[in-house]
Amino acid sequence: MASAKATINLKLKVWRQKDNKSQGGFKEYDAKNVSPDASFLEMLDAVNEELIKKGEEPILFDHDCREGICGSCGFMINGNAHGPQKSTTVCQLHMRVFKDGETLVLEPWRASAFPILKDLVVDRSAFDRIIKSGGYISVNTGNAQDANNIPIPKPDADEAFMSATCIGCGACVASCKNASAALFTSAKIQHMALLPQGQVERAQRALDMTAQMDAEGFGACSTTGACSAACPKDISLINIATMNRELLKATITKKEEHTGGGDG
Amino acid sequence: MFDFVKSTVGRKYIMGISGLVWMGFVLSHMAGNMLILVSPDLYNAYGHAIVSNKPLLYGAESVLVLALIVHVTTAISLTIENRKAKGSRYAVSASGEKASTLASRTMGMQGSVVLAFIILHLATFKYGTHYDTVVNGVQMRDLHRLIGEVFQQPGYVLWYVVALILLMFHLSHGASSIFQSFGFLERKMQKGLRKFAWTYAIIVVAGFLSQPAYVYLLRGK
Amino acid sequence: MSVKLDSKIPGGSIDEKWTKHKFNMKLVNPANKRKHSVIVIGTGLAGASAAASLGELGYKVKAFCVHESPRRAHSVAAQGGINAAKNYQNDGDSVYRLFYDTVKGGDFRAREANVHRLAEVSVNIIDQAVASGVPLAREYGGLLSNRSFGGSQVSRTFYARGQTGQQLLLGAYSSMMRQVDLGTVELYTRREMLDLVVVDGKARGVIIRNLLTGEIESHEADAVIVASGGYSNVFYLSTNAMACAVTAAWKAHKKGAYFANPCYTQIHPTCIPVHGENQSKLTLMSESLRNDGRVWAPAKQGDKRTANEIPDAERDYYLERVYPSFGNLAPRDVASRQAKYRVDEGHGALGEKAVFLDFRDSIKRLGEDKVAERYGNLFQMYEKITGENPYKQPMRIFPAPHYTMGGLWVDYNLESTIPGLFVAGEANFSDHGANRLGASALMQGLADGYFVLPYTISNYFANTKLEKITTTNDAFKHAANETQNDLNKFLSVKGSRTVESFHKELGHIMWEKCGMARDKAGLTEAISKIQNLRKEFHSNVNVPGEGKGINNELEKAGRVADFIELGELMCRDALVREESCGGHFRSEHQVDGEAKRDDEKFCHVAAWEWNGSADKTQTRHQEELTFENVHLATRSYK
Repeated sequence: MASAKATINLKLKVWRQKDNKSQGGFKEYDAKNVSPDASFLEMLDAVNEELIKKGEEPILFDHDCREGICGSCGFMINGNAHGPQKSTTVCQLHMRVFKDGETLVLEPWRASAFPILKDLVVDRSAFDRIIKSGGYISVNTGNAQDANNIPIPKPDADEAFMSATCIGCGACVASCKNASAALFTSAKIQHMALLPQGQVERAQRALDMTAQMDAEGFGACSTTGACSAACPKDISLINIATMNRELLKATITKKEEHTGGGDG
Repeated sequence: MFDFVKSTVGRKYIMGISGLVWMGFVLSHMAGNMLILVSPDLYNAYGHAIVSNKPLLYGAESVLVLALIVHVTTAISLTIENRKAKGSRYAVSASGEKASTLASRTMGMQGSVVLAFIILHLATFKYGTHYDTVVNGVQMRDLHRLIGEVFQQPGYVLWYVVALILLMFHLSHGASSIFQSFGFLERKMQKGLRKFAWTYAIIVVAGFLSQPAYVYLLRGK
Repeated sequence: MSVKLDSKIPGGSIDEKWTKHKFNMKLVNPANKRKHSVIVIGTGLAGASAAASLGELGYKVKAFCVHESPRRAHSVAAQGGINAAKNYQNDGDSVYRLFYDTVKGGDFRAREANVHRLAEVSVNIIDQAVASGVPLAREYGGLLSNRSFGGSQVSRTFYARGQTGQQLLLGAYSSMMRQVDLGTVELYTRREMLDLVVVDGKARGVIIRNLLTGEIESHEADAVIVASGGYSNVFYLSTNAMACAVTAAWKAHKKGAYFANPCYTQIHPTCIPVHGENQSKLTLMSESLRNDGRVWAPAKQGDKRTANEIPDAERDYYLERVYPSFGNLAPRDVASRQAKYRVDEGHGALGEKAVFLDFRDSIKRLGEDKVAERYGNLFQMYEKITGENPYKQPMRIFPAPHYTMGGLWVDYNLESTIPGLFVAGEANFSDHGANRLGASALMQGLADGYFVLPYTISNYFANTKLEKITTTNDAFKHAANETQNDLNKFLSVKGSRTVESFHKELGHIMWEKCGMARDKAGLTEAISKIQNLRKEFHSNVNVPGEGKGINNELEKAGRVADFIELGELMCRDALVREESCGGHFRSEHQVDGEAKRDDEKFCHVAAWEWNGSADKTQTRHQEELTFENVHLATRSYK
C-alpha cells in the first residue's frame, strides 16, 4: 500500500515576493522524499517546515479547506492554473501526477486586478466587489414563500446549479491572456438568470455586474477557452454567451427609473 | 447604449458584427473568384459587372471600409486594455489540456498580417496594372491576365499562401467566437461549433487558393 | 462563586414556546435600530445569515472573517444536505418528528426547547434559501428533491448534489453582500478576533488583528456575535479547514463566557483514511453515501486481501447485522464506534485502519450512471485523493473528527454568560446534545443567523441600557496591549520546534486519549501531557518572521496555543462526565459496546468557567436538563 510506493524528488522554482510593493523573483528549493499520496500543498508544507527550521520564512500560499471547495488555493504550476490536472484545485492535486526529478515553476495568479500580496498570495477582493454589485436576489429574511410554490424545470435548476458551483478561485482570470473575469461574472449572472427568483433584477444585475467587472480592470474575453479549461469546477463558456446576451437585452430593454413619491 | 458600446462585452459585439461583415464579404468574394475555373471571360465579366454598378460598389466599399476601421480600432483598444489588465506574463506558458489553441491566442498577430495583406491586395489588384479586354463587345478590365501575371511570381504566391493560412485561423476562431460573443451558444452546439467554424474557414481559404493553383495549372498547359 | 445558569427557556407547551417568546420579546423601532451596532465574528452560514438579517433590519453591522472573502468560510465544505421538516415526501415527517429525532439523536443531552425551535424554523430556512437563489436539487416535475440521512427514517434532507454547504453559504454570502452594497454591513476580511472587550460587564467590542498588515485594531459595538465555528482542529487531523480555530470562542471564554460540553465531539464515520505522516487534513465522504453504499469489514481476523478478492460469505456487513432497522443509516456516533471495534478486533480493510464502503450492489441495482448522478463528484474526489476508482473497488473509509457539539454556553436567546455576547452556529453548544445528526449543522447555522438572533438581539437592545463608548476606552486599550504582548511573546521565544509540530503532538494526544473512546487513566495521562506541552510551547516554539505584514506562522501559533488550553479542558470535561452519551464514549460505561448514559448523575450541561489563568483548574457549572416531551430512554437503532 501507501508505504510501498517510491517517493520522488522535485525541484521547485517559486516566486518569492515580500509584499505588494517589493520586486519579486524566483528562488529554487528542493522537495525531497515526497510521497505520491501527498497533496501538492502537503508537499509544500513539508518544504516550509524545513525552511522554518532553517530560520527562513516559509513560502506563503492561500489555502483553507483542502477539499477543493473553498476556492482559497490556487497558483500556477508550470504555466497551468492549479497544475496539469483538469477539474482539480491545487489542494486536490496529488503528487502521483508528477515524475521523479521534475522541475516545477510556481507563480502567483497574474492579473492587474489581482495584486500580489506576498509570494503566491494575491488579492481577489475584486470578485467580492463584483458579487456586491448585483450577484444576489433581493429578498429580506422572512419574505420567502413556500419553497415548492414555484416549480423549476429540472434542466434549468441543474444548469443554474452548475453555474453556481463556481468557487471563486480566480483560475479563470489567471489563465486568461487578458485576465478577463468573464467566466466568473457570467457564472453568477447565468445562475440567477435561469431561476424564476432571479427574474426581477435580471436586467439590472447584468448591467451592474458587467460594469463592475470592467471597472475592476479585468480584460475582455477573447474566447480562447483557457478559463474553462483551467476551471476546477468545469464552468462552461456557455455562461459567457449568456452574460453577453443578458447585457445586450438589458441595454435594450432597460426601463428608466422614476424617482419621486414615496421611498419604498 | 453608450455604456454598452464602451463595455468589454459591448465591444465584443462590435468585433463580432464588423467581423461578420467581412466574413460575408470574403465568402462572396471567394465564390466570385471561382468563376475563373469556368472561363476567363466570365471572370472578367463578373468583375466588370461589380465595378459598373456604382451605387452597389460604393455602398459595399464604404460598409467594408467602415467595418474594417471599426474592427481594427476596437481590436487595438481591446488589446491595449487587455495587456494592461494582464500586467506581467508568466515565466512558463500553459501546456497540455489547459493550453488554449494557438489560433485563439494569436488573433492580434493574425489580424495584423491580414490587414497588411488586405492593403497589399488592394494595391496589387484593385489599383494594380490595368489591362483591357473585350468580352461580348464590351470593353472591360482584364483581371484574368493580371491574376495570371501576379501568381507567376513565386514570392507573391508564398506570401499569399501564408497570409491566407493566417486568415484561415483568424476566420475559424472568429466564426466560432461570434456565437459566444453574440450569446447564441448553447450546450448542444458546443461540439459542432468548431467543426462549423473550421469548415467555413477552410472553404473560404481553399477557394482563394484555387486562384494561384489555377494559374499554376494554366501555365503548365 | 457559583452562578446559576439560567437557560431562560420560556414557559408554555413545547410547540408554543418560540411563538410566545417572539411576541413577548421587546422590539426596537426602526429609527432606533440605526443607532445600534453589532459586530459579527465569522461569515459562515451563521455569521453571514446573521449579518445579512441584522443589516436588513437596519442595524449597523461590522462583519469580520479570517479569510480573504466571506465565501471561503468552512460551511462551504458541507456536502450532504440540510434537514427540514417540510414533509414534501408525505412520508410522515413533521416538526415534532424532526424535534424528536434530534433530541434522541443527541442522546438526550440537548435542550428540548432549543431543538423544537430549530425544527420549527427549519421549514423557513428552505424557503429563504430557495428565494435567495440557492439551486437545490429538483425532481423532473420541478419540485424539490429529498434524500435520507442517518438517524432518521424519513427523507427530509434537501441537497445540491454533494455541495449543499457551498450553495447555502453562497446564498447567505450573497444576501450579506447585498447589505454591504446597501451600506448596512461593513465587511472586514483577513481579520482575526484576538480578544473580546467587556465594559461594565457587557460585551462591547473586539480586538482584531489585521492579517495583512499585522496591525491591532479595536472595534466597538453594542453587541457581539461570535459565529466562528467549531474546534475539531484540536485533533490536528480533522475534516475542518486549516484556518478553523477555537480562538475567537476561547478568547470570549477567557473573558467570562462559559464553555459548555467541550468533550462532545463528533467523529464522522465516513472519511478517507490517513495516508501518511505529512497528511495535513482529512477529507469527509458525505454521509449520503450510506444511502446506497454498504459498509463492511472482512469477517476473518487479519484478512489482508483486497475487497474484490473477499467472497460475500467472508464479508461482515456489520451495521446491517447489528442494527437491522437502521442498517447503514445508523447515526454517526454509532457507526463510527462500530468501525473502530472492527479495526480494534483485527478486521480492518487490507489489515489497515479502515473499513469498506461498497457500491457494488447499488451499481448492480441502479446502474453506474444513476450512481454517478447521485454521487459523481464524491467518487471523483475520492479517486483524486486516493488514486483508486470507487466504481471498481469499494472505498476505504475510517472515522475522523468532524464536528464539535460543545461550544460557548448560551441561553435560549443564544446569549452567553456575558451579556451582549451572542454565539451562533457550531460555536455555541446549543442544539445537538452529545451527537449531531447528519444534515443538521447547516440547519442550525442558518436557523441561528436568519431566524433567532434578529429577534433576540433586538430584545437585548430594547431591554438594556447601553452607554455610548469609543475605542479610546481603557478596556480597549488594555485588551489591545495584552494582545500585542501575547503576539510579541510568541515571536520572541525563538525556540527549536515549529508550531506545526506542537499542533501534531496535541492532535495525537487528543485522538488517542480523548477520541472515539475515552477512559479515566487515559484522560488523566492526557491532561498532564497537555500541561507539559503547553509549558514547552511557550518556551520552545519557533515563530519566524515579524509581527508586521502577513505572518502565517504567527497566526497559527496563537491558534495552537488556544487549542492546547482547550484540549486540557476537553479531557477534564470528559473525565468528569462518568457516562457514555453520543459522541462521548467512556469505555468504563457501556453495555455490549453501546453507550450507557447515567441520567441520574449527568442529565445536565457542563459549563466551564475560566479562572484567570491556564494554570488554574476551571470551575464546572451545571445546567440541569429536563425532558418533558421526549422521554429519557436508551437510544436504540436496532
